[in-house]
Order: sequence, then structure tokens, then C-alpha cells
Amino acid sequence: MEIVGMDQISPDQVIFWTWGFVTINATLVYTWFVMAILVAGSWWITRRISRDLTIPRWQNFLEVVVSGIRGEIREIVPERADYYLPFIGTLFLFIALSNLLAVVPGYVAPTSSLMTTGALAICVFISVPLFGIVGHGVKHYIKEYFQPTFIFFPFHVMGEISRTLALMVRLFGNIMSHEKVIAILLAVTPLFFPVVMQALGLLIGLIQAYIFAILAMVYISSAAQAHDEQLHRSGGEKAH
Amino acid sequence: MHIDWFVFFAQIVNFLILVYLLKRFLYGRIVKAMDARETRIRQAYEEAEKCRCEARELADGYQRKQDELRQNSERMLNEAREEAESYRKDLLQKTRDEIEAVRTRWRETVDREKDTFLEDLRKRAGMQVYAIARRALADLAGSGLESRMADVFIDRIRDLGSDEVKIIRDAVRTSGGVVKIQSAFHLSPEIRQRVGEAVRRSFDTDGVAVDFDENPDVISGLELRTAGHKMAWSLGDYLESLEENFALALQQEAQSR
Repeated sequence: MEIVGMDQISPDQVIFWTWGFVTINATLVYTWFVMAILVAGSWWITRRISRDLTIPRWQNFLEVVVSGIRGEIREIVPERADYYLPFIGTLFLFIALSNLLAVVPGYVAPTSSLMTTGALAICVFISVPLFGIVGHGVKHYIKEYFQPTFIFFPFHVMGEISRTLALMVRLFGNIMSHEKVIAILLAVTPLFFPVVMQALGLLIGLIQAYIFAILAMVYISSAAQAHDEQLHRSGGEKAH
Repeated sequence: MHIDWFVFFAQIVNFLILVYLLKRFLYGRIVKAMDARETRIRQAYEEAEKCRCEARELADGYQRKQDELRQNSERMLNEAREEAESYRKDLLQKTRDEIEAVRTRWRETVDREKDTFLEDLRKRAGMQVYAIARRALADLAGSGLESRMADVFIDRIRDLGSDEVKIIRDAVRTSGGVVKIQSAFHLSPEIRQRVGEAVRRSFDTDGVAVDFDENPDVISGLELRTAGHKMAWSLGDYLESLEENFALALQQEAQSR
């Protein structure tokens, strides 16, 4: 049974309840479902966390995941990995779990909704200057947009917006199109082939989550790094 | 395409809530636990490294001590060997000396015994010879041995050279005219008179006093003594050759055993 029909492009269109402008659709419900799994799982596993040398296997699993994410962040930002970990790690875990649960019958990934991917992209869009400003101050951050000359300001702004749009559409396009492909294949060849495609879907889902999180980290770090380099340069000139 | 702004903002809020919740329940706890474990492992590793360093130092120390002990033991062993060797030599030398001393003592004892024996033999032989000669002379010529000895002694006095007579005469004068005649046996008054006359005549001194005395050391004979001079006849000379022959015979007997 398909919750989202072929004629409906997104789970947004499956509306469970509406009151005025408040609309509870499949996107929100499945998002809460994913959130519930993540939070409940984390709470359940970490409620009796062990700091000894021997640890429970589920804690070990979480440590592998978290240290993996930390390692990836550290490759981009060697010094402050733990500072960016909650934001980047949550992006990855949420998108990855959303995509991986697609193998569960009746489930529709919230990431196949443009509202979800848009919301995540806006979060990244806002967090890039936010991390920059929190770290180094407004003045220095805004100055970045006028480098090398003020003429480049619109291009910087356009770059920010376009890459946010790219983030949003890339994830949405991939997940949504994959679900549609699976649906079409089920109609055409109901045996065996959709299973392979589902497996491929798991890989694509993980890769998309990785890409989204890594790109977010790169955007954030590039802003902070450019600023750091400028600071170093000006400090060096003063010293000379 | 329709954009549902409520869902859009709700997703933003959802995401922010999720960030907060995961930060609280997942990252914070896990990172803290991992860091704590990492610190523990690092401390344990550092401790182990420290222990290993200490152990290595200890091992080096013990190795050094062992080497020293080995060298010392070799040195001490050598010293002990040398001491034992010298002690052995000392003991050997001491034993040799003792053996030598015992042998010397034994030889001296044997010599003494030999001398005593020979002395005894000489006396006994003298006595025996005297007895035999006396009996033989008595049987053959009817005269006593004492008398015959006195004759021989008187002959000797008479046969003295002029130089000897002069020396004895001077000695008699020096001694105040006293001449002592010693014999191993008792002399009869007749023999004493003959001997006394012979002495007075030979040394040409009338006022000389002749004392007769018995002395068992004078073996079967007569002896004239005056200040520092002596003139004698006895069987001693014969007995000395007998003693030499006996000693030789004894030595040969001892060697043959």
C-alpha cells in the first residue's frame, strides 16, 4: 500500500489533520517518528552510560557513529570538532535515519519533502553566518562579503543563496525521485528488481546524508576559515 | 508548487529541538564518556610506560649488580684458590718439616741408643776381656793380670822419649809434685810400689807423691795424670777398634733390613 500515490509528488500532500493554518501532514508525522526514534534510542542507550573499558554493545554502536562523525568533522575543522558536532551530527543522523527507514513498508522519508530539505537548508544557511558571527563578531564577518572589493557583494550573496538552494533541491530530488523510481519499478517488475533498487536506495540515502552534512560543514568552516586567515594576515602585517 | 509555510517552519523548529535533544542525550554523554575513557586509557598507558621505564631501569640496575657480582665472585674465587694453594703449600712444608724433625729426632735417638749400647758394650767387653786375660795369664804364667799390666805400664814409662819425659817432668813440678795413677781395678801394694818407683825413676823427681785411685772409666789399664798431662795404657785402644767394627756391623745389618 502506498501512502503517497504516484500523482502526489510529496508526503506534504498527505494531510492527516488541519485546523486553520495548522496542517499536520505525513512529513511532520514521519519527522516526529524519526525524531522519537533518535531521541528515545539515545536516551535509552545513554541512560546508564559506562566509562569503563568494557561497554555495552549499543553504547559501542553509538560511540562508533559519534566518533565517525567527529572524525569527519575533524578532517575539515581540526581544532573545534566538538563545537560543530551537535549541529552537523544531527543533520547527518536525521537525514540518514529518514532515508534508511525508507525500507520499512508504509514509511515515506520526510526528506522527500521539499519543506523538510528546505528547512534543513535554511538552518545551514542561517548557521553559516551565525557560527561566523558568534566566533569572530559581526563586523569582520560582513567585511568578508566585500572582499576583494564591494562589487563582489552581490555575488557573495548569490553564492550563499544558490548553494542553499542546491542543498535543498539535491536532497529532495534524490530521495523523492528514488521513491518514485521504486514505485514505478514495483508496477513494472514487481519481483526481485525493486529489492536491488531498495538496497541501492539505502546507499543513496546514506551518501546523501553524508553529502548534506559534509557540505554544511564545509560552508561553515570556509566562512570561519576565510575570516581566520584574514585575521592572521592583518596580524602579520601589524607585526611587520 | 504549493509551499506550506507552517510545515516549513515546523520542520525548522523540529530540527532545532532535535539538535538540542541529541546534544543533551547523545553527543554530550557519549563524547564525555569517550573522553573519560580516552583519558583513562592514556593515563594507564602513561603509567604502563612509566612502569616499563622503571622496570627497565631496575633490570639494568640488576644486570649491573649481577655483572659486578660475577666479577667479584670470580675475583674472590681466584683469591680463595690462591689462598688455598698457598695454605696447601704451607701445610705441605710444615708436614715435611715435621717429618724431617721426627726423622732427625729418631736418628738422634737411634744414635744415642747406639752410642749407649756401644759404650755399654765397650765396658762389658773390657770387663770380659780383662777377666779372660786375667784367667788366661794366671793359668799360663802364674802371674796376675794387674801385675802384667803394671809391667807393661812401667815399660811404657821407661820407653818414653826424652822430650816427653821432660814435658811430664815440668808438669809434675807445676802440679806441686803430685802424680795421680788411676786404674780400673784395685792395685796391690806391691804393684803400687813398683809403679811408684818407676815413676820416680823415670821423671827423676824424688819428692814426688804418687796417689793411687780407682776409676771404672779407665778400662782395663793404668793412667798417669799430672797438671794438664796424661799418659795411659789400657785396653781402650783395642776396644775402640772393636767398637768401630761393631758399629760397622750394626750399620750394615740396619741397611740390609
